[in-house]
Amino acid sequence: MESFSIISSEEFPDFAEGNLLESIDFDDLFIGIDEGDMLPDLEMDPEILADLPTTRCDVEESINTSVEKTDEDSSQRKEEEEEEDKISGSGSGSSSSKGEEIFSKREEPNAVNKTPSKYAVKGRKSSAAQAKNNNQGKRKTKIEPRNWSLAFTSMDQNMVPGKVKMLRESWKDQDRIKYFNDVLNYVKKVDWTPELHRRFVQAVEQLGVDKAVPSRILELMGIDCLTRHNIASHLQKYRSHRKHLLAREAEAANWTQRRQMYGGAATPAGGGKRDINPWLAPTMGFPPMSPMHHHHFRPLHVWGHPTMDQSLVHLWPKHPAHTTSQPPQPPQSTWGPPPANPSFWHHHHQRVSNGLTPGTPCFPQPIAPTVNNHSSFGSILPVCISTRFRAAPVPGIPPHHHGTGGQSGPHPLIDFHPSKESIDAAIGDVLTKPWLPLPLGLKPPSTDSVLGELQRQGVPKIPPSCA
Amino acid sequence: MGDSSTSYIHMVQHLIEKCLIFNMTKEECMEALSKHANIKPVITSTVWNELEKENKEFFEAYAQSQSKQDRMSEEETSRMIQKMISDSSSKDPDE
Repeated sequence: MESFSIISSEEFPDFAEGNLLESIDFDDLFIGIDEGDMLPDLEMDPEILADLPTTRCDVEESINTSVEKTDEDSSQRKEEEEEEDKISGSGSGSSSSKGEEIFSKREEPNAVNKTPSKYAVKGRKSSAAQAKNNNQGKRKTKIEPRNWSLAFTSMDQNMVPGKVKMLRESWKDQDRIKYFNDVLNYVKKVDWTPELHRRFVQAVEQLGVDKAVPSRILELMGIDCLTRHNIASHLQKYRSHRKHLLAREAEAANWTQRRQMYGGAATPAGGGKRDINPWLAPTMGFPPMSPMHHHHFRPLHVWGHPTMDQSLVHLWPKHPAHTTSQPPQPPQSTWGPPPANPSFWHHHHQRVSNGLTPGTPCFPQPIAPTVNNHSSFGSILPVCISTRFRAAPVPGIPPHHHGTGGQSGPHPLIDFHPSKESIDAAIGDVLTKPWLPLPLGLKPPSTDSVLGELQRQGVPKIPPSCA
Repeated sequence: MGDSSTSYIHMVQHLIEKCLIFNMTKEECMEALSKHANIKPVITSTVWNELEKENKEFFEAYAQSQSKQDRMSEEETSRMIQKMISDSSSKDPDE
């Protein structure tokens, strides 16, 4: 490869070996360079690197010579033609996502863009990417001859022998080590081992998930080889993961509640146990609804979506009188709430504690086993209705709410007579969302017999044109 | 076309079921539906009756629990409240 000789012959005698190329992890190096850590023109050559202590955090990967990095860059570019102009440090091109290539994934906007072209770095590898690519230092780099010249062009501009010399001579070893270490730490991908993650979670929980700030987390963790940046991106992932988990939990819990509620509701005569009455329609799924409503059925929505929450809040206080003059067509068919209404409520409840209007009839849920023990129809359900919702004192809710057998603290007084608002809200709900499954799933009477009966009573047709 | 009637009846049934969950009587239900949903009481009543015919057992049990509940409600309520109070106060030291 002729280019090789180019390298080696001129400014970079040290790089004559081909092996170096393979051990290069370019993108790591320069990820955050422009974040204020203006590094002096840096040329890392193997001897310096050899001096560096090997930290636990994956040092090997981020061997970084600007040269090779550029080369790698180039090789990437070969696959993506448009990158050609990005030689000097623009990292905005997205690399191909080959597993072995360092630049294959870029999760973050490329900070390197702002870096002066000294490093010709392209993109940065996120930890995720690196996880996939993680070869612990051995990476196949595809270097194509034709790109090398490009690489070197840019490099030439930056890497001047004189500079290198300066680097080597003016810096004390200590400084150099520290400096390199910082750079390495900054850009290298962190290997989030379970232990490391555990400490991270500890720190976060200590601070409080919402208040956890990367710098503080970093302090709490006290691990040298982590940078604020590493923590920040990990935190972001962690938070989104949590949300996802919580949502799923909530949904699952709610389904459990519903099932139990149906069981309780279906067991009149004070048995109080949660037997599912055999003739109850299976209410866990989506019981048969009139075909015309099927198209309103939405798949379960993304939890935590802000618009959903808002729309739910808007809807609840709404007085059904506005809608009742219409036949049972949902006035807001564009609304698209998740069909699993109780779970939506539940979700809403859990997330937005201030979003519930009084008397909001979150789906009637059995509150506690103790209540159910007395239970007849009456004791379970009205309790639920007028209870102001707190941290869901319902079985199936995440355990820490559970307390001892389902009571999570003092309950509000049980009111056996449903409040007007709850009724209102429940009714409103039915009117606006007719696709919802029937709460009890009673066997419907035949239309004809109803109509016949009505006619006998003097009601010619329904829906009536006037109430 | 019976479709709109069917769906209307379905809606009324749905509403009635909601009232059942609230443990309301037929009369209460008629009133509520009339007030909140503008449904003629006669319609509510008819649908209720028809439902009852189709779901005899349910409604029988429902009626039972209603009467039981009326009789016991006060007593039950106070008992429950006391239990809750004692439960929560016994829990408190733990928290």
